[in-house]
Amino acid sequence: MTRCPKPEMWVLYAAGELADRPRRALATHLESCDACRREVRDLARGLEAMESLEREPVLRTEMLDTLERRLRVAAANRPTRPRVVTLVARYGWAAAAAAVLVAALVLNLPKPTVPAALPGNHQAESLQEVAAAIELLRVADNGATPLPPQNLFPAGRQNELDLLLELDDAGLLLDYLMSQDKLQG
Amino acid sequence: MALRDDKDSDEQERRLVAYAPRIYGLLVRMVGNRDTAEDLTQETLLRAFRAFETYRPEGKFRAWLFRIARNAARDWLRRRPLEPALGLDADWPERAPASSPPQSWPEERLLHGERASKVEAALKRLPAPDREVLLLRYYGELAFNDIAKVTGEPLGTVLARAHRALKKMAELVPKEES
Repeated sequence: MTRCPKPEMWVLYAAGELADRPRRALATHLESCDACRREVRDLARGLEAMESLEREPVLRTEMLDTLERRLRVAAANRPTRPRVVTLVARYGWAAAAAAVLVAALVLNLPKPTVPAALPGNHQAESLQEVAAAIELLRVADNGATPLPPQNLFPAGRQNELDLLLELDDAGLLLDYLMSQDKLQG
Repeated sequence: MALRDDKDSDEQERRLVAYAPRIYGLLVRMVGNRDTAEDLTQETLLRAFRAFETYRPEGKFRAWLFRIARNAARDWLRRRPLEPALGLDADWPERAPASSPPQSWPEERLLHGERASKVEAALKRLPAPDREVLLLRYYGELAFNDIAKVTGEPLGTVLARAHRALKKMAELVPKEES
């Protein structure tokens, strides 16, 4: 007979929380060990006893009404802020990860040649950047593949953007892009 | 274009309210008092509603929610160490369900109720941390690994508690007649 496993292992066995392989190994041990069979039987009885309790006890109607009222008040009191900031708050980690990936790709690709600046070009460039950053957030929201990196950040801003990307903060990145837009507008 | 998206809020409310009975089931057996359990159920769900933005979809929703409930009960127990309700002799729900008079129950239901009373009595005899593990598993339907995350204890400790508690339950609750 093989050595008996620790009693805690039988808890996982009785509760059905073991992967197939260890479960089969323990089942083989059980075939030849009365003491462990008794152990598993007791644990199964303990688990079965719990099933006698009402898993979803009926709640008083007044209590549920109060709860729903309080939740509605809490919903009404939720602060308002722009949707894009909400997306950053909710999916900032995904946007930051996508941005880091984009940066890695940009650094490995040949830098696109930027034509000499023309009057009015900065404004258009900044707006494109903001649009691209928002697109990044949308992409993160939908779990889709990001856009080709070379469209996102013009080479002239690469150093500042690299620093922001290093900081791994999508909110900061967006603020930066928006502030650039304002400054040049 | 506002953070307060009504559709999101409605969906979150529905999702949370659906868990109210289970949260209450856990809390009433942790604090041993119906009124307190009702208050704490509301507190738990409101806290969860306010904290919804911090909930990461890749985590397990039930583990997140039951951790909030468990912490609410722990906080309450810490704040009120001398409350008589701590004796857990107070009214637990299955003893006297207000909505269905026992006389009208079919025999099967009465037998079930009788057994449930024995289970309740056995649960009360368990040390609080051992009982907590069984309750989190039963009401939260959490795996022991998730219970370890909820309680902040090593998995081995949680399994040792479960082992002790289940053996005790088997000893105190007679086998169900088939």
